[in-house]
Amino acid sequence: MTAALRDPRKLPSLIATVAVIVIALVWLGPLIASSAPNRLVQSGITGLLVGGVYSLVALGIVVINKASGVFNFAHGGMMMVAGFIFFSFFTTSNIALPFALIYSLVTVGLAVSIFGWRNLLRQPSLIVIGVVAVIALTFVLTLPGPNYKWIRGIVGGAMGAALLGLAVERFTIRPLIGQPLFASVMMTLAVSLILNGTTQLIWGSQPQTLLIFSEVNPIGIEVKASPLRFDTAELLGGNISVERTRLYAFGLSLVAFLAFWLFFRYTSVGLAMRATSENQMLAQSVGLRVRMILAIAWAIAALLAGVAGVLHGGATNLDTNMQYLALRAFPAVLLGGIESIGGALIGGLAIGLTEEYSKLLFSGDIGEQLAPYIVLMVVLVLRPEGLFGQKRIDRI
Amino acid sequence: MKKAQFLLMLVLLVGVFAAPALAQDDAGFPDFIQHTECEEDLTGQNIEILHFGDLSGSYAFITQPLLVGLEDAINYYNSNGGVCGATLSQRFDDTAGVPDQVVATYDRFSTEDPKPQLLVLYASGDAEALRDRVAEDEIPVLISAGSVPGLYGDDGATPGWIFATNPLYTDQLGSFCDFVGNDPMGVFGEGQSIGYISWEGAFGRAADTEEVWSYCESVGVSHAGSEFFLPTTQDISAQVQNLVDAGATILYTNSLATGPALVAATVVNLGLEDQVVLAGVNWALDTSVGLLGQATFGSDGLPSTDGLFGSAPFYWWTETDQPGIALIREQFDAAAETAPESHTPTTQNIAYLLGWQTVDLYTEIYIQTANRVGFENITGADIKETIEGLDYSPLGLTTINFQEGRRSTSANRIAMMGYLAEDGASMADAENPPMVVTVGERQLLVPINVALTDFVDAPDLRPGGADVPEG
Repeated sequence: MTAALRDPRKLPSLIATVAVIVIALVWLGPLIASSAPNRLVQSGITGLLVGGVYSLVALGIVVINKASGVFNFAHGGMMMVAGFIFFSFFTTSNIALPFALIYSLVTVGLAVSIFGWRNLLRQPSLIVIGVVAVIALTFVLTLPGPNYKWIRGIVGGAMGAALLGLAVERFTIRPLIGQPLFASVMMTLAVSLILNGTTQLIWGSQPQTLLIFSEVNPIGIEVKASPLRFDTAELLGGNISVERTRLYAFGLSLVAFLAFWLFFRYTSVGLAMRATSENQMLAQSVGLRVRMILAIAWAIAALLAGVAGVLHGGATNLDTNMQYLALRAFPAVLLGGIESIGGALIGGLAIGLTEEYSKLLFSGDIGEQLAPYIVLMVVLVLRPEGLFGQKRIDRI
Repeated sequence: MKKAQFLLMLVLLVGVFAAPALAQDDAGFPDFIQHTECEEDLTGQNIEILHFGDLSGSYAFITQPLLVGLEDAINYYNSNGGVCGATLSQRFDDTAGVPDQVVATYDRFSTEDPKPQLLVLYASGDAEALRDRVAEDEIPVLISAGSVPGLYGDDGATPGWIFATNPLYTDQLGSFCDFVGNDPMGVFGEGQSIGYISWEGAFGRAADTEEVWSYCESVGVSHAGSEFFLPTTQDISAQVQNLVDAGATILYTNSLATGPALVAATVVNLGLEDQVVLAGVNWALDTSVGLLGQATFGSDGLPSTDGLFGSAPFYWWTETDQPGIALIREQFDAAAETAPESHTPTTQNIAYLLGWQTVDLYTEIYIQTANRVGFENITGADIKETIEGLDYSPLGLTTINFQEGRRSTSANRIAMMGYLAEDGASMADAENPPMVVTVGERQLLVPINVALTDFVDAPDLRPGGADVPEG
């Protein structure tokens, strides 16, 4: 603050910030004060849990943006398709051998040919690795019976997500290298529509219950895990309920977040991706394989989308509406800063909390629909690069 | 001799060509399907059921089975002589629930040559968007259920060209208030208050009107408040708790598929099962809700959607003593053998029944109109005139009467969603365990709807409607 007072250029920003805080306190203060304490705590918990999934979705969008500068509008569609692929492998006990073989062949084929098919022919070792991988994956996918549903689901789902990411990159984004970035963004919109149609063709439009966080009820049917209930009536004036499905989804989101953060920070591929995102030409000039890095970025983003899809599907349902969850993550991405991994986490949680508290304080859905965008607008006016984004100055 | 042979041939030929026309005295149909007798042979003609709506967006859960129902019904009707010999077919377009797409699709359909004589729509929002256009173009529309603005205009007193084959959403909620006020089952008691929690949009808001709430007040049921959520919303615990805090003892939802299931699951998750009763629009009693509700079980050991009240304006799949339902079930089972992937348990829903109802209604409308003006001369205005005078019961499933300026049906009853008990005949409860069936690799309970009242006229709760309380 003292810096702002010393620097006259920062004074308007400071005044605006203070004004926003004062208005928020005057306006929201009485509403918050009139709410029951247990409701305030409940909304806080639910907001964090919902926001965790938003963060994971936001991370996938950030990964693509960091690597290629493209804002991926197909992320919601990728989330939905990857979620349904997991569902299929998770719930089908007997995968036909020819299908598993072809599925493995296509996925591995696309993965080992990141540099192109000609390059593959020059590297026989890659072919050997590929053949071994195809055999191993086919074996895993055809493991029969419900006892192997987790391994089938995870392997099949991960393969599907990677295949999806690689295919989108190879056949829709790569041909547009050298074209204006806007063309790639438009292409992701087209991909989103194609994924929606494809999902309906393959899985139909009926919502599916994905029982990954489940328990067996007294009549022997597998159902979603029951909520945790805390008797806080004396302390907070009412009880608190925490949905275990959301809690697990939140926990796994954080684990996935941490894993990818470590990947970007400490692995050579992760570091190469960060370098590529800074400057593709410079990265190429120092020997980084930009094309491969872009392909990996898309595969990782698709994996993230898949994890988010499965966790969200497990907490609610799998249906074609889930692709629109990405729309809730867009403000999270911008709020946190479009190239910031930590920002995606904070942005997602902030949007989740904003939504829940707005639902508590304002009747109807106006708060839920508008509040995230109002918060986003205010933050962007005060910090155009987002909370943790990099400030870029283009000298002209 | 030759003359006799020639006459014989002539008689045979006449017989061959005239047979389909004469057959429309429903020779091929069961007796309970009573169409008006054909006065014109329409052999060689085709009647296209033209429809468009949200087949891939939020409403796809409901609309996809409609396509299957229409297709199965069309096949059945065509194999039994069609419409006075004319065949039926369907053509549709997916608007994904996008308003711009709705208008664009309508523009394309309405400018075809020849101009469509009749259209089918699904969504209240579509009806509201196209209300003025269809009137201008003189194309009547059948819709499954609608809102006051879509059917009667903003003033509620200007009947348009759109006709709903279910009661208005306002009237359905009025019916439910009657049920709560009369309390024939003795489960509600005094001082009930409805919290309205629905999807955002024309459909979700359709029953949340001043007229409805003043009517409900008049029968002893108050309004605790209204909350709305998007079909994409992950969590509605705040909205549910808001309504309960405001005194709601009943949560009524104007949503479908995931909507009622989410409300029910939230009530269970918040531990409010003993505090609130669930109710909803006719779509809330759909099979999709009964299946989705099984992801969350209540403390009574039954799915969260068990005991959900709702409107049931036409007969349900389980009422097999009703011949229309028996026929549809029989045809469904037959079709399921050849196309099992499109005839799943979720296809046995409301929209599939509506598909059959629509085909039978189309048949009757075209017979009556062709009889009156001749098939070649039929215009949209002629079809509208027929519909306005209609008093018909398609397959006996419900009563369609659009006379005296009505644009929706009025017969309604209240039913409750439950689950089939082990005995296969009764409804499961805490003492009577549910029947568990294995579908694919999943164990499921069988959702059923049980009618709690007879068909009665729903209150007319349009603005200025006959049953809206004074003042």
